[in-house]
Amino acid sequence: MKNMHRSVAMSIAIALGSWGGLAHAQTTLNVISGGSQNMVDYITDYLGPLFEKQNPGVKVSVVGTGPDDAGSQKMLEKLQAQKSAGVATWDTDVVIPNQQKTGEMVQEGLLMKYRDSIATGKYAVSQSAKQALGVNVDGYVMPMFESQTAIAYNPDLVKNPPSSYDEMRAFVAKNPKAFGYNGLKNGMSGVAFIVGWMYAYGGNPDTVQQGPYDAKNSAGWKKAFADLKTFNQQVVFTPGNAGTLDMLNRGEIAMGPVWVDMFQSWKAEGRLAPNLRLKILSPGMPGQPYYYAIPAKAKNVDLAKKFIALATSPEVQAEGIVKRFNWYPGIDANVVKPSLDPKVWNALFVDITPADLAKNGKPFPLAPYFKDLREQYEAQVQN
Amino acid sequence: MRRLGPALLLMAPAVVMVGLLFVYPLLVSLAFAFRNEATGAWDLANFNKAFALYGSDIALTAGVTVLSTALVGVFAIAIAGYLTLGENPRAVSALRWIYRWPLFIPFVVAAQLMRTFLAKNGMLNNALMSLGVVDPLHAISLLDWRGVVVTFVWKQLPFAALLISGAMASMDRSMIESARGLGAGRFRILLEIVVPQVQSTVMVALILSFVTMLSALSVPMMLVAGSPTMLTVDMAWRVNSYGDYGVANALGFVSFAMSGVAAWFYLRQGIRDGGKPR
Repeated sequence: MKNMHRSVAMSIAIALGSWGGLAHAQTTLNVISGGSQNMVDYITDYLGPLFEKQNPGVKVSVVGTGPDDAGSQKMLEKLQAQKSAGVATWDTDVVIPNQQKTGEMVQEGLLMKYRDSIATGKYAVSQSAKQALGVNVDGYVMPMFESQTAIAYNPDLVKNPPSSYDEMRAFVAKNPKAFGYNGLKNGMSGVAFIVGWMYAYGGNPDTVQQGPYDAKNSAGWKKAFADLKTFNQQVVFTPGNAGTLDMLNRGEIAMGPVWVDMFQSWKAEGRLAPNLRLKILSPGMPGQPYYYAIPAKAKNVDLAKKFIALATSPEVQAEGIVKRFNWYPGIDANVVKPSLDPKVWNALFVDITPADLAKNGKPFPLAPYFKDLREQYEAQVQN
Repeated sequence: MRRLGPALLLMAPAVVMVGLLFVYPLLVSLAFAFRNEATGAWDLANFNKAFALYGSDIALTAGVTVLSTALVGVFAIAIAGYLTLGENPRAVSALRWIYRWPLFIPFVVAAQLMRTFLAKNGMLNNALMSLGVVDPLHAISLLDWRGVVVTFVWKQLPFAALLISGAMASMDRSMIESARGLGAGRFRILLEIVVPQVQSTVMVALILSFVTMLSALSVPMMLVAGSPTMLTVDMAWRVNSYGDYGVANALGFVSFAMSGVAAWFYLRQGIRDGGKPR
């Protein structure tokens, strides 16, 4: 009996000891990323291992919550639940949400103001680093990358691709069912096409993008939506962002809106016909960043800051964001460019030039306008 | 009375689990379907919006699930019937081996398969084109409600066929043999002798299939391009895009009402069978 007591005590001691030892040797940095699988891959395959190498004893654990508002909404609800439960330290150190939900998180006090305390904070110069769909997020976020939507087309089938929404309407009238998009509920590239349509025909695009919000503006969209409903009779609906690319690839449609980074990555992996090309319609199509942010009561704040500083350093932005994953840099492009082979840099802008981007790359609408826009589409176009 | 204590104790974990994780959220979500977040009042605003925006989706959901359930019933009876009455042992064992496969494939994988199979230039149309059945200009994409019906039927068929063929196998075969002896054809034996005897199992299999299909999110989400689509997609959309649980709960209420009708049949069937629903 005595022996048994001793062995139990010993095994408990050993168990505790090894557990304690492990806890000292290893800290886990918990990262939650929204966005498609490529964003999770970016952390597991590239950024995570790089950070672990520079910080021995740290393990980066990443969970993906999925694309669009849906993925980032899960993050928001997780943080909100911990806040309302009054938990002292939250179980997430870094979140990577989309624009819309970042704004909501800042408004609900779920995020920490950290940007000025990291060295790379000064590189966050873009408009989107300060405003997320009309919400002031200055100081709470570092943009991870900027992404842009554009029209992908098959040059064998479309010799002179339309360069504006007007030309697109003319094209579709002449070539019914050659253009396809994923509508409202099936991914953001379809939403982006609708947003661009409203910028072209809804009136007051500057107010819709910059504010202030006035319900009177969104009341005047009926004509634009009625036209879109007519336009929709002539198009093919695709199942999702990837669905549009699949259908382009199988030759079922000749043109459709896509995310530029997804298009480039698929092309680089040989999953798309190499002849497909891109074009942004004027007066503009929207794009969006994803942000690095730190929850207000994160456990490993210093480590989180270090992680984001690495992620937003010019070298990592050049190698990881631009070269490996085909996104536009989130930080000041002028500091990223010197770290890159000019060939890689130019490949990023092969179809869409920096001038096109500056002229036709737009933000998504202010959150309340965006909500009106989607609900009106549901009520007036889909019904 | 003395034996009630241990019985309650044994039941407690299950009751607590069901109560906390199912009944309580269900009641809250049903109640909050009537909550108007804008005014703080309790009214029908969420339902008005749900019917205004998603009326056609509600109709489509009902139509698709009822049609799929009916098709599952017809095909499951056909398969189970052949397994019971088939005379070619090789064909019977081949069918028995193969029909269960989709049972082991999750909905999301099935949807992914169908996404490439049913597309305009997908495998189905390509095969038909190379056989000369369809010419390329007239090929159509089945990625809409038809795709959902195909996927649902393909996925639920083995489940229903498994239950029904089990019931048929445990039937007393003497009636089949005597009907055969009197010269009845196989089709007639199936419809007039076998199916009436396994009727309650058929009902149960179909009701469970109906409820499963009603709640599938991945299939319509991945297959239906554009609109109308199914209620589950709309619910996810309301929550994810607008953070609007009110209308999502109202849609949930409608969906509960549909499965409630099925549940009522299920319980009634159980009571008729002897007081304990299977």
